[in-house]
Amino acid sequence: MQETNISAKNFEQCQKCSLCETVCPVMANNPKYAGPKRSGPDGERYRLKNGIFFEDSLKYCLNCKRCEVACPSGVRIADLIQQARIDYGRKAPKLRDMMLASTDQMGPLAGAFAPIVNFSLGLAPVKGLMHATIGVDKHRTLPKYSSETFVHWYKKHAEAAQDAYKKQISYFHGCYANYNYPQLGKDFVAVMNAFGIGVQLIPEERCCGVAKIANGMIAAATRDAKINIEAFLRSVKEGREVVTVSTTCTLTLIEEYPELLKVDNSEVRDHISLVEQYLYKGIASGELKPVWKDGFKARAAYHCPCHQERLGWGIFTTELLKMIPGMELIELESNCCGIAGTYGFKKENYKVSQAIGKPLFDNIAAVAPDYVACECETCKWQIEMSTGVPVKNPVSILAEALDLEKTAAANRK
Amino acid sequence: MKFDVVIIGGGLAGMTAAAELQKAGLKCAVVAAGLSLHNVSRREFTAAGGTLLAGDSVVSGRFDGDRLAAVRTGKLGSVELEADNFILASGKYFSQGLVADMDRVYEPLFGLDVEYDEDRSTWFDPSFAAPQKFLEFGVKTEDGCALKDGSKIVNLYPAGELLAGVSTAQGDATEAIKKTALAAVEAIRRK
Repeated sequence: MQETNISAKNFEQCQKCSLCETVCPVMANNPKYAGPKRSGPDGERYRLKNGIFFEDSLKYCLNCKRCEVACPSGVRIADLIQQARIDYGRKAPKLRDMMLASTDQMGPLAGAFAPIVNFSLGLAPVKGLMHATIGVDKHRTLPKYSSETFVHWYKKHAEAAQDAYKKQISYFHGCYANYNYPQLGKDFVAVMNAFGIGVQLIPEERCCGVAKIANGMIAAATRDAKINIEAFLRSVKEGREVVTVSTTCTLTLIEEYPELLKVDNSEVRDHISLVEQYLYKGIASGELKPVWKDGFKARAAYHCPCHQERLGWGIFTTELLKMIPGMELIELESNCCGIAGTYGFKKENYKVSQAIGKPLFDNIAAVAPDYVACECETCKWQIEMSTGVPVKNPVSILAEALDLEKTAAANRK
Repeated sequence: MKFDVVIIGGGLAGMTAAAELQKAGLKCAVVAAGLSLHNVSRREFTAAGGTLLAGDSVVSGRFDGDRLAAVRTGKLGSVELEADNFILASGKYFSQGLVADMDRVYEPLFGLDVEYDEDRSTWFDPSFAAPQKFLEFGVKTEDGCALKDGSKIVNLYPAGELLAGVSTAQGDATEAIKKTALAAVEAIRRK
């Protein structure tokens, strides 16, 4: 009922109730930001009259989309703000922003020199230099690059075995699994294969573009989006669903492509699923049969990333993790961790970023779990850096909790 | 996905009922379009292990004879929420638990029977401060259960402002709303 409306992004449905303001993590911590209601639907009324009413302060929006989850009237508040930045933003992206946003260009470059890059990015003088020159905050621990990409590993160690499986999916690994943390991709392949599912890559895969959208590189993001959607279409036609591991990539592919980049994904959007959703459905329907390890024990705290909140699919992850015998799962209060992709890396945002994350960090400290379970890669950097508690992707938890050999045997039958 | 009780609506009635049922050991899910303002009940509910589907809304129901078997939400797509019992606490007009057309008032989700006056001229008093009759309208019940085309849906319990007669027209209705929620809880627990 509230999903459709004639005004763009439902903005005329705004009743000025201000619920969005009560959940905005930025508004509570940065007085320079006018908040979602005024930056979104209120500002839109002015901007439609004349673009001079566009305000630069819209750049402080994290695009966490908590305002959209809170809105009782279905207004796409964060989308209104992102759209205004696209349509009226006047400043060209800085060199730093382009570097942070071009994950798929920086990845291969940094990966080639990974040991040197990782070592030097950890040095205080280098951090100080980056802080002073390009504005990447010196307090941040920068993500490590891997010297062997996931794709490289896959081609060498996994590709040849995949065709033997009867069921096949296409894996959208994203930049993080490929350049920063190939272990996630390896765990994904191990779990899928155990369930009797072959994993194919998408040769044309491009970065989903979320960081480019956030940093104003719309032409580049649109180009990549079109390439991705065409590749997904081919995959779906060949009978392979697209399975992803990153909540943010997924939200971008499903929601931001049509809404912000005007790239039509209607033919494929129902064929894109997060791995937790894909596995939950398979196990619940009895099609996939897990065999769990004896004696697995863990006390995990689940942090639902903002974009997972917006997708509304956190329930698949929690239901999946609750299936594991020996798993004690505590659900953390829903709060933003503060990193918001590239946002928290910028020196002008560091303090706000950490202030936003504080309630979550305090919550984690009080629960004192063995680890935090979370689907999002940037939440992982932020939580590990700020709390010292390790963060594991649910796929990696499954890879540990499943008896992979017995599962493989059970799913061959 | 299977639950003991699915509660549609995260307002005062929905959240009150959900917290009570979950604490009593029933497995519950709340589907709440928009933020739930009832922080105390919400925290009690999630702390007791309840499932909160925030920012999602129920779009359709599957009936099996005189029972509601399952509902679907906008975000979970083909995955149904099945339950033994359902509480419908979708509120009145603002939250679109009720919709008023020019000539009728209806419940848009399941098409439940609604009590209202067919003579539109009686719906409202032009004096802003006067009690407004349209606020008294709401779904009909029998033994606490909703009615559809005159017959009882035996496991669907409307609660809160959605009910006929429960209204903010005469001032604060907090107590009345809570009582309807607790009545639904009692009916389900007695089963």
